[in-house]
Amino acid sequence: MTRNEFMTRLRQGLVGLDPDYVRDVMADYETHFEDGEKSGRTEQEVAAALGDPGRLARELRAEAGFKRWEEARTPGNMAGAVLALLGLATVDVMLLLPFLGAVFGIFVGCSVAVLVMVVVGFALMIAALFPGLAWFGLTGGVGMIAVGLVGAGMVALGVGLGALFALVTNLVIKLLVQYARLHFRLINTVATQEV
Amino acid sequence: MSESLQVQLKKGVLEMCVLALLSGGDNYAYEIASRMADAVGMGEGTVYPLMRRLQNEGLVTTYLVESPSGPPRKYYKLTKSGALALKSQISDWKAFEVSVRKILGEAT
Repeated sequence: MTRNEFMTRLRQGLVGLDPDYVRDVMADYETHFEDGEKSGRTEQEVAAALGDPGRLARELRAEAGFKRWEEARTPGNMAGAVLALLGLATVDVMLLLPFLGAVFGIFVGCSVAVLVMVVVGFALMIAALFPGLAWFGLTGGVGMIAVGLVGAGMVALGVGLGALFALVTNLVIKLLVQYARLHFRLINTVATQEV
Repeated sequence: MSESLQVQLKKGVLEMCVLALLSGGDNYAYEIASRMADAVGMGEGTVYPLMRRLQNEGLVTTYLVESPSGPPRKYYKLTKSGALALKSQISDWKAFEVSVRKILGEAT
């Protein structure tokens, strides 16, 4: 592979990332080629020693995603970190895929459950405002108060579970990121041996 | 089928080796990459994602030095927390090495 081919494939792999970050990374590898040629190696030798630019781009992309999520734990950045993990997983860590799928499934399931709980709770609280309906065999004021309290309880429980669930999700992703980071080193040493 | 022991060992000590290299003086990426490639057979391209991660974790910082030929060169420097991380990794490594040697000694 020539220097140009390497740089083009690296750039393609980094499309969509912060332009300043991409410029930084590209400059790093340009310098590496220049230093390599100064010490008497050919472009091809340097490119071969660097490894697959697509793989390097995936790792750099993942690291950038993790960093953004660590700086600001917003849902958007979390989705980015998960996507970056999946980007690594699809190619390098097939083993992780079923696990990530299960985590994602649980995530969606819990989100829906919490949402339904809060919505039903609110609905009950509103319904309690209408007298004349028989609630739990109770009529009038007592039934209204009972239903209102049940509704409020459900909302509070939903919010509480939601917060707990957010904490757990945070922890799981943190662990996954750590695992992926450990894996970088493994993947690379293996890749080096293949070359 | 199983990875060679060498690969397993390398992956564990890469970060420690880079930190140790920097504790001997600031250096630039190409030099770090060649030293690591020669010493432990690390892929040269790996250095850059690794350096970025170490930087994100605050273990190293970078600064630019004007170069007489070509653009300014980026040097990596060990931070205080980098030096602490290195110290604890070295003591972990030494303890590990001692216990392995003990068991190997019993085996022969």
